[in-house]
Amino acid sequence: MFTPVASALSEKNFRKSYIKMPLSVCNRVMEDKLLIWKFKRGSREALRRIYDKYHGGLLKLAVVLTGNMDKAEDIVQEVFIHFAQSANRFGLYGSLKSYLITSTLNCVRNQRRNNQRHRLQSLDKAEHVPSLARRPDQWAVLSEHLECLSRAMACLPYEQREVITLRMEANMTFRQIAGLQKTSISTIQGRYRYGIEKLRSLLNSEVTV
Amino acid sequence: MKSAEDIRRYFQKSTLSTNRERHEAIFEKIQSAQDQSKTRTPASCRLNLRSSIMKSRITKLAAAAVIIIAVALSINMWDKSIPSAYAIEQTIEANNSVRYLHIKNFTAGKDEPREGWLEFDENGQVAKVRAHMPEWASPEEGPRVIVWKDDITQVWLKRKNVLGIMKDKMAKGQITAFLQNYDPRLAVQHIYELKSQGKVEVEIDEPSDETEPIKMAVTYLPGSSTPEKRKVLFIDRTTKLVNTIELYQLKNDEYEYEGVVKLYDYNQPIDAQMFDLRDEVPSDVKLFDQAADDVGLAQGQLSDQEIAVEVVRQFFEALIAEDYARAGKLFILTIPTSEIQKQFGRVKILSVVSIGPAIPNPELETKGFAVPCTIELEENGQRKTVKLEGIKVQHLHNQPERWAISSMD
Repeated sequence: MFTPVASALSEKNFRKSYIKMPLSVCNRVMEDKLLIWKFKRGSREALRRIYDKYHGGLLKLAVVLTGNMDKAEDIVQEVFIHFAQSANRFGLYGSLKSYLITSTLNCVRNQRRNNQRHRLQSLDKAEHVPSLARRPDQWAVLSEHLECLSRAMACLPYEQREVITLRMEANMTFRQIAGLQKTSISTIQGRYRYGIEKLRSLLNSEVTV
Repeated sequence: MKSAEDIRRYFQKSTLSTNRERHEAIFEKIQSAQDQSKTRTPASCRLNLRSSIMKSRITKLAAAAVIIIAVALSINMWDKSIPSAYAIEQTIEANNSVRYLHIKNFTAGKDEPREGWLEFDENGQVAKVRAHMPEWASPEEGPRVIVWKDDITQVWLKRKNVLGIMKDKMAKGQITAFLQNYDPRLAVQHIYELKSQGKVEVEIDEPSDETEPIKMAVTYLPGSSTPEKRKVLFIDRTTKLVNTIELYQLKNDEYEYEGVVKLYDYNQPIDAQMFDLRDEVPSDVKLFDQAADDVGLAQGQLSDQEIAVEVVRQFFEALIAEDYARAGKLFILTIPTSEIQKQFGRVKILSVVSIGPAIPNPELETKGFAVPCTIELEENGQRKTVKLEGIKVQHLHNQPERWAISSMD
């Protein structure tokens, strides 16, 4: 279902981002350790807390990466179902947040690979726009900003989209992203720069921050 | 919109809210998945070892084979559905035959290890210990050699050229607690107990390659005394004895390598001379021997104040009798007879005019008293009375029943 990149991401690269950890992050990490510990012992409450704590961030990540609300819901649901089944295998040492982000990212990649759909589009022609429409039974309701952002991101090449999302949402360094995308830091910086320029142009045409 | 910071702010403003009913319905599915997984494989059969311990090529290859399966589940794991043939009890059993052991503890960033030799009695209790502590372990004291046996501790401060000998009945407990980290016998037993209490998670990897040691990763859980520690024990396939213990500490969400304990020379007899420093130290070493039975004065039925006064009284009576050996034994650090004679022999102490009462000495953390006294002495043919207020008395180190003079200002 997922790719080997998950382990490399969740273990090594994400940890480095915690080296200079502010107190709030430190508390979050410690709370996560306790939650994982309880979760590994079959606690429903711990799973519930993890779900409530991270579903929003993962949905946002998936929406921005896929530009498609239905796919995003499926992906996040799949990530949590897989996580719920992994109590016996999940290590105590990893970062829970990093693990979930990585799982989501891999799921998005796998789905893209399966669909074989990867086209650079302009904002007006974005294929995902109809999928952001609201349905009564939809899990998430996006703010206007997120809808705009998602539409704009859908116009970027996927690699640029991923770099910008990991940088902005997961606070990853260029080095970490380079490790994830298996390319040089300069390439990542280039993708980031071009992606930001295009995103700025697309968003300026939509709304002024 | 002008900069990447603006884009970042845009990301922050981009939010979503969730439909409560849908949210609950999805969670039910997730919880159902959790319930189903509980009926599969128990966690105790699983192994999860960090890549940091996967050093050898063979281990990596073996791990790779497992990862191919694990990839389908997308996490960094080592899933062993087949229960391990090895059990901690085998090492505990093997440890019962150990009588001698040589240990080196290498600390990350330090060149020189702490080194120790252990001898166990027939009941498996630690009977003798010799430890070499490098300078970095105690910069003020310098390098030390410590020997412990029969409740007596010898400490040789090499830089200060001092040999201290102390009787310490509590030392055994302290040594045992200390050795829980370094003596594989105690370490494994301790891990076994913590595991039964649910305070550690133990994961065992028994590689298919018979030349590879068994690896036991021990993660200390919240609720244990050291919840941020991890140890990885490498166990000999044949003897089931521990060869190496790697130590890790959780820092910034990452287990950081702290050092390694290497175990050598299982059951290689250690020369008895190794456990006695008196013939090993230089001949000019300053000897402070508190272990001898006649050091200080037994308290008996006297109160603390009374024994403090009695010590001072007997000290001056010994000087009056010119029994300098006896006087030297009434000091907390035994002073050689020649030194006492040199200090006090030039005056003739005639009598104790008055003594006491003892006053609690606020300078001492432990119980101690200042004992004022007035003595009559003869010096250069002149008789005079001298008032002394700076004689301090306290009990011996870890021997509360024996008291001696600690200083004389």
